[in-house]
Amino acid sequence: MLSINNLHARIGEKEILKGINLEIKPGEVHAIMGPNGSGKSTLASVLAGREDYEVTEGSVIFQGKDILELAPEERAAEGIFLAFQYPVEIPGVSTTNFLKSAVNEIRKYRGEEPMDAVQFLKMFKEKMAYVNIDQSLLSRALNEGFSGGEKKRNEIFQMAVLEPKLAILDETDSGLDIDALRIVAEGVNKLKGPDNATIVVTHYQRLLDYIVPDFVHVLYKGRIVKSGTKELALELEEKGYDWIKAEVD
Amino acid sequence: MSKELAIKSFQAVGFPTSKMEEWKYTSLKNLNEIDWSWEELNLSVASIDGLQICTLQDLLNHSTEFKAKWEGKDPILEQNPLFALNAAICENPLVLWIKEGIQIEDAVHLSVFLKQDKNTAFQSKMIVFLEKDSSFSIIESANSQGETPVFSTFVQEVFLAEGAQFKYVKEQNLSDSCTYVDQTFVYQDSNSQADTFTFSLNGGIIRNNLHFYINGEQVVSNLNGLYVPGANQLMDTHSVVDHRLPNSESNELYKGVLMGQSTGVFNGKIFVRKDAQKTNAFQSCRNVLASQKATMNTKPQLEIWADDVKCSHGTTTGQLNEESLFYMRSRGISLAAAKTLLLLAFAQEVIDTIPFEETRKSISEKIIAKIEASNDLVI
Repeated sequence: MLSINNLHARIGEKEILKGINLEIKPGEVHAIMGPNGSGKSTLASVLAGREDYEVTEGSVIFQGKDILELAPEERAAEGIFLAFQYPVEIPGVSTTNFLKSAVNEIRKYRGEEPMDAVQFLKMFKEKMAYVNIDQSLLSRALNEGFSGGEKKRNEIFQMAVLEPKLAILDETDSGLDIDALRIVAEGVNKLKGPDNATIVVTHYQRLLDYIVPDFVHVLYKGRIVKSGTKELALELEEKGYDWIKAEVD
Repeated sequence: MSKELAIKSFQAVGFPTSKMEEWKYTSLKNLNEIDWSWEELNLSVASIDGLQICTLQDLLNHSTEFKAKWEGKDPILEQNPLFALNAAICENPLVLWIKEGIQIEDAVHLSVFLKQDKNTAFQSKMIVFLEKDSSFSIIESANSQGETPVFSTFVQEVFLAEGAQFKYVKEQNLSDSCTYVDQTFVYQDSNSQADTFTFSLNGGIIRNNLHFYINGEQVVSNLNGLYVPGANQLMDTHSVVDHRLPNSESNELYKGVLMGQSTGVFNGKIFVRKDAQKTNAFQSCRNVLASQKATMNTKPQLEIWADDVKCSHGTTTGQLNEESLFYMRSRGISLAAAKTLLLLAFAQEVIDTIPFEETRKSISEKIIAKIEASNDLVI
């Protein structure tokens, strides 16, 4: 489904990703862990198409297409979804309106008819139940004045509505208390299927108790320096990152 | 002064240029090159129960009632050659008269139509005379047709007696070869409320002058405005709110979305005179430059002589937030659609002030169309 080959990326003069290789198959959950500044969020941003980063080398093939040439909105329409570490507040635009635009733009890209108001409302109601989100939140301006937990829940709700093939959760656990974390993780698990894949970017093992990964990769200094199964995450939780740094440096 | 003499004396001075402080960013110098035909423009006002529509001379000649009430009302206009000429040409303006206690619920439609088949300098003037405890609303649309450059000055004098309520929506949707100067004078007595809603959607040069004279207590004045210039258009708002007596309130909410190579100007003056204690006067002017080639000039001016007042002003000019745009795009919304959504969300606050649903909807649609048509939006 996703094949990252020798990916190099920089911001300004600073090289952050220095040759990432990663293969993801449908149905898999991959966790990307690593110390602060290792390039985890950069990888998530580059996959989603954030223009601050310049890809200098390598390729990213998603479902047979090189996505590096695509605009962020085209990647979204191809089925990539980034759940933001810091969801953006957009005054004056309600979540409902925002998602209606998103759904219909994606349908247009795929050559499908736009959804009418009735269909949209029905689909919306179904998805609301998934993440236990309240209607009142959705009619408010997008993320404006939302608590940390509400923002993250809104991200997962958007994911439920857009049904991506590949979901990238960028530090979704940051700023969440344990209850919010559980609700968010439950939502992600419900959306998991044999045809879609998930990348969980996280600093701590905690989230992986709820979203159980098939593979764990450790990112350090812009490279994946170690890969394993969920046991690797437990080992990191216990011993920290220093032993990996020592192995690499 | 005769019409011919007024034109001659105007021609000697000419159109305002950027050398004049009040016209610093809006030079009409180029208009001096054109051989204008000066004409009075007929305004078209729909009739409605409770509204008397008549010319000033007819009223003064035939209505002793009006004549008595009009006594001493004839105001002194701004000392500006443009308006002196307007007064000379429009010596018999249209009067909209709403008698004491008459409440007209539905808004009256007023059309200002500029035919662009020759170089006409249209002059028009209207007096709105609201007696005690009356209420009245106008929805005005200024439109044009044709391509020949035209010029227009439209002066309105609005008198609100004690307890009168007035709402005035202006939609200016003109061609790029129009230069349109709009001058609204509002005189308010105690307990009156005047709300203006000025929407400058299109036009080569649009200059809106609004002068509010607060001559009573417990007066409320709300000035709302949105301008969305594109291409090489220039839209200029000059407002003056003059608090002369105590215990009144004024609010100014102005926003601009500037596209293409357009220019915006906002100059907002608030005077709080020595006697105008306990005045609340607020002014806000926020702008988004939706194009790298657009320019906005803002100048708030507060002159306060009273010592027990609440006054605030704030002007900002910025660009669309890149992070917001990326967030929207990452959900599949195209860059153009994301910009349109953000700009419309920004403008919405002013659109929402329009108290008439149909007008609110139609203005909103026109703004969306204009933003969507502007293909050179940059962040």
